[in-house]
Amino acid sequence: MRGWRRDGFAGEVHAGTPSNRLLLLALLGLLWAVLILCRLVYLQIVSHETYSRLADRQQQRTFRIEASRGAILDRSGHPLALSVPVNSVCVNPLRVPDPVLASDILARVLGVDRQELLEKIERAKARGSGFLWVKRKITPEESDRLRSLKLEWVEFRKESQRHYPSAPLASHVVGTVDFQERGNLGLEQSMDEVLAGRAGSVKMVTDVLQRGVEHMATDAAEPGVNITLTIDERIQYVVERELAAACERHRAASGSVVVMNPYEGDILAMASWPPFDPNEPPRTPKDYQARFSHPVSIPFEPGSVFKIITLAAALDSTNLRPDTLIDCGNGTFRMYGRVIHEASRGYGTITAAEVLAKSSNIGAIQIGLKVGEKRLLEYIRRFGFGKRTGLPLPAESPGTVRDLKYWGKTSIGSIAMGHEISTTAVQLAQACSVIANGGVLVKPRLILARQKPGEKPVAEPVEPPRRILKPETAITMRRMMEGVVLNGTGKAARLPGYTSGGKTGSAQIFDRTAKRYTHLYNGSFVGFAPVTNPAVVISVTLNGTRLYGGVVAAPVFKAIAMETLRLLGVPYDVPETAAPEPATEEETIDVAIASLSRPPDDISAAPAMPAPEPAPETPQATTFMLAAGPVVPSFEGKTVRAVLEESFAAGVPVEVIGSGVARAQLPAAGSPLGPGERVRVYFK
Amino acid sequence: MSTYRSVRDLDWTLLIITLLICGLGILQIYSATRDTRWEDAWWKQIIWVAGGLVVMWIVSQIDYHSLLSNAFLFYFLSVIALALVLMVGGSAFGARRWIELPGFKLQISEFVKTVIILLVARYLTELKSDRVEGRDLLKLGGLVAVPTVLVMKQPDLGTALTYLPILGIGVLLAGLRWQYWVAIAIILVLVVPLGWHFVLKDYQKARLVTFLDPGQDPRGSGYQVIQSKIAVGAGGMWGRGVTKGTQTQLRFLPVPHTDFIFSAFAEEHGFVGVVVILGLYFLLLMQIVQNAQMAPDRSGMYVCMGVAALLLFHILVNIGMVVGRMPVTGIPLPLMTYGGSNALSFFLMLGLVNSVRLWRFVS
Repeated sequence: MRGWRRDGFAGEVHAGTPSNRLLLLALLGLLWAVLILCRLVYLQIVSHETYSRLADRQQQRTFRIEASRGAILDRSGHPLALSVPVNSVCVNPLRVPDPVLASDILARVLGVDRQELLEKIERAKARGSGFLWVKRKITPEESDRLRSLKLEWVEFRKESQRHYPSAPLASHVVGTVDFQERGNLGLEQSMDEVLAGRAGSVKMVTDVLQRGVEHMATDAAEPGVNITLTIDERIQYVVERELAAACERHRAASGSVVVMNPYEGDILAMASWPPFDPNEPPRTPKDYQARFSHPVSIPFEPGSVFKIITLAAALDSTNLRPDTLIDCGNGTFRMYGRVIHEASRGYGTITAAEVLAKSSNIGAIQIGLKVGEKRLLEYIRRFGFGKRTGLPLPAESPGTVRDLKYWGKTSIGSIAMGHEISTTAVQLAQACSVIANGGVLVKPRLILARQKPGEKPVAEPVEPPRRILKPETAITMRRMMEGVVLNGTGKAARLPGYTSGGKTGSAQIFDRTAKRYTHLYNGSFVGFAPVTNPAVVISVTLNGTRLYGGVVAAPVFKAIAMETLRLLGVPYDVPETAAPEPATEEETIDVAIASLSRPPDDISAAPAMPAPEPAPETPQATTFMLAAGPVVPSFEGKTVRAVLEESFAAGVPVEVIGSGVARAQLPAAGSPLGPGERVRVYFK
Repeated sequence: MSTYRSVRDLDWTLLIITLLICGLGILQIYSATRDTRWEDAWWKQIIWVAGGLVVMWIVSQIDYHSLLSNAFLFYFLSVIALALVLMVGGSAFGARRWIELPGFKLQISEFVKTVIILLVARYLTELKSDRVEGRDLLKLGGLVAVPTVLVMKQPDLGTALTYLPILGIGVLLAGLRWQYWVAIAIILVLVVPLGWHFVLKDYQKARLVTFLDPGQDPRGSGYQVIQSKIAVGAGGMWGRGVTKGTQTQLRFLPVPHTDFIFSAFAEEHGFVGVVVILGLYFLLLMQIVQNAQMAPDRSGMYVCMGVAALLLFHILVNIGMVVGRMPVTGIPLPLMTYGGSNALSFFLMLGLVNSVRLWRFVS
């Protein structure tokens, strides 16, 4: 074989034909090379932008950073709603080594469906998706168990869960959120944007397994604002307890209570019955109905409660005085061919104050006629009826106040006693506050302050109040409303140790299908205490009761007022021993006869009560019926004992500092005392 | 006979071009495998290149005629080795492609390329006529077909296909009547559809077709092509810089140190870098063709042209694949792609070219 290369032709190079073919081959190769070069020019230069974008799109990912939702606090800082961090479990399907094993483990620890999870992982893998929720918002126990397994392909994401620690307290005010923590009821809904804050984002460079490699940009999340409410958790608790007890006792379909400070408009408590638990999602239609906020969303015909508006309008704009005599006749009254009846019997000729105290329908109509349609409507509007109060709650109802052109001939009569008109409990509390605070309209408010995390709380601005009544009208009204409690239909609202004023109401409920009034009532009581310098206005309504406002609502007022005044530290203004007499039921009859054309025999269907003696006047109560808030007497030079006796008699609470003889006092003698205020007396 | 051969007479131009390409390859392997489980690949590749240089020098010192005279022996050994691979070879991804040696996976099919170059050169040199007759064509075709089929069985379609251009250029240079070319064309037209149906596996078919429309299966067979095109396109004119190519670094680009090294290079060095590489390959090929033209005899020319054809085929198919103009067949880019067998195989061929060159100074 060595000699093989020595063959003659082996050394001979064919020069001619092969080089031609070689040239052809070289040309083909060159053509191919040119084609590929063109392709490279196209990819790298012509379409560079497109491919760069494609690369960025698959290499960069934006992750959302959720902002923590602001808390909702009561006025002293107790949380009503707050967001607590919880863990959610997700996996990166691309990093799951064995989907079958993985879904088996996760199903066991988290109690999710094994087969379903396996399919989800497989599908995500096939899609090339690097993210899959396994279970969201797991319990701490589940979280601990899963963590103890130390699976490197399992990720925990912090999410937040809305929690209502005091639930169901104030649940209608606070509201609820959905699964995404977006508010869907109450303040959670109306203040959603403020509470939610602003979600941030992180832009990350991620590799093919969608693991974050490098931060590009971070847009920090802005946490939500904490909102402090005017609600006092302690008062709210009492309100809900009393409302629930009354609604259950009287089988009311629903009920509302609003407790309001008449000066600043702070809603100290607001309750709606039936209650609901915001921590539980609604399931039945009943659950959904329980979410209605009756005091703001469901207007009703107020009935006799509304007579305070009629009376206030008359006092303010006519020559009517509390002692003006009104002829209420024998219990029937003709008006444009229609006959109006008193609820029980004729009152004869009584004073205007008695018209209110006894809730005379005929008296109220006559006073209404005295005011006149135009002026009455003007006053109704001034008191804020027919207009939303502007509370930051969703679905507030403005109620119904019709324009004059829609009034019938007898409408003035109906409206004077609270029919052909509808109001919400909040509107009633707002109107009663006007009388309580001396004649100015104060908008009710729910939000006391807002606080951005890390910053100081900012007090919510207060709208300046608007005077709508002469001060003397308001003061006279207070006294007349005290009369309702002392010797009228509202005796059940008498408080041991405090003076109080108010008005009962029992509006018959109109059955819209039968087109007639039923014998179910909206039993209301709207009042304030103490009379001389009201610290609180309370509006109570029970819808669909068989008894009157004086029976069903006034005791609720009493219970709430007692607790509220105690919690606010309002001093007694009458001796506690002055035990109020139990009200007789006859005295509470205050049904505003809704149907002016109702036949007389219908009245017999109303519960017939024996006619008792009118309750004797309580002397203590009238003693302290002062025109304005209590005036601080001078204590200087007096002994501790003398100061205490005098302060008790004047209804002025004192704080004794030191011992011996009084040398100084704050505030000074002669200055008025605000609700809840005490006089500090320094002894030496 | 005078056997004096000077080191000075080695093809230094060829060597410098080769080393430049290898250097760029090593740089790219380094960049592409940072922080991965192949992160020591770049210095392993340096060892392979160094080993390759030694192999090249040794082969250049051997008289290629003596290799040619043993071509048939090498051929039979190759066929036996390939059969052995099929029986006892190490497997990965469902394919048996190499024989496990201590510290080294010997990929027999790479070295068979050299054997086929020798076989074709030997066979065509021994022809008594100016043209290749039908009988010779069938005989030579049959000889080449045996290892080709064995490699396809591994299955390694890409490498198997690289044997064919060696045969093709040999026959072209030896001369074949145009009737035969027509006949070959007709046979191909008939055989290709049959092979499509009966020989190729589904994944192979998918790979062969999806380059035409990778969007049809972006997560499956089209994935590599799409990612490669994005990498090349994102490189732009000047590239993103060494270790800055995000497609490569974030592992979107599959196997960026082996089959898709050109793609990674294009992303990090841009069009400018690509033109440099293509220029170097062009010079390399021209240098080999020059050695073919100056070969002392026909057998030397066949050897050099076989090497040139094989290199050209590799380059064009690999780059064609990377830019989405050829199917994904797993054909490496000569001298750049990471891999011992591949590197040694090409240095072996360059050794042959040097051997041919040195022999013209003999006698």
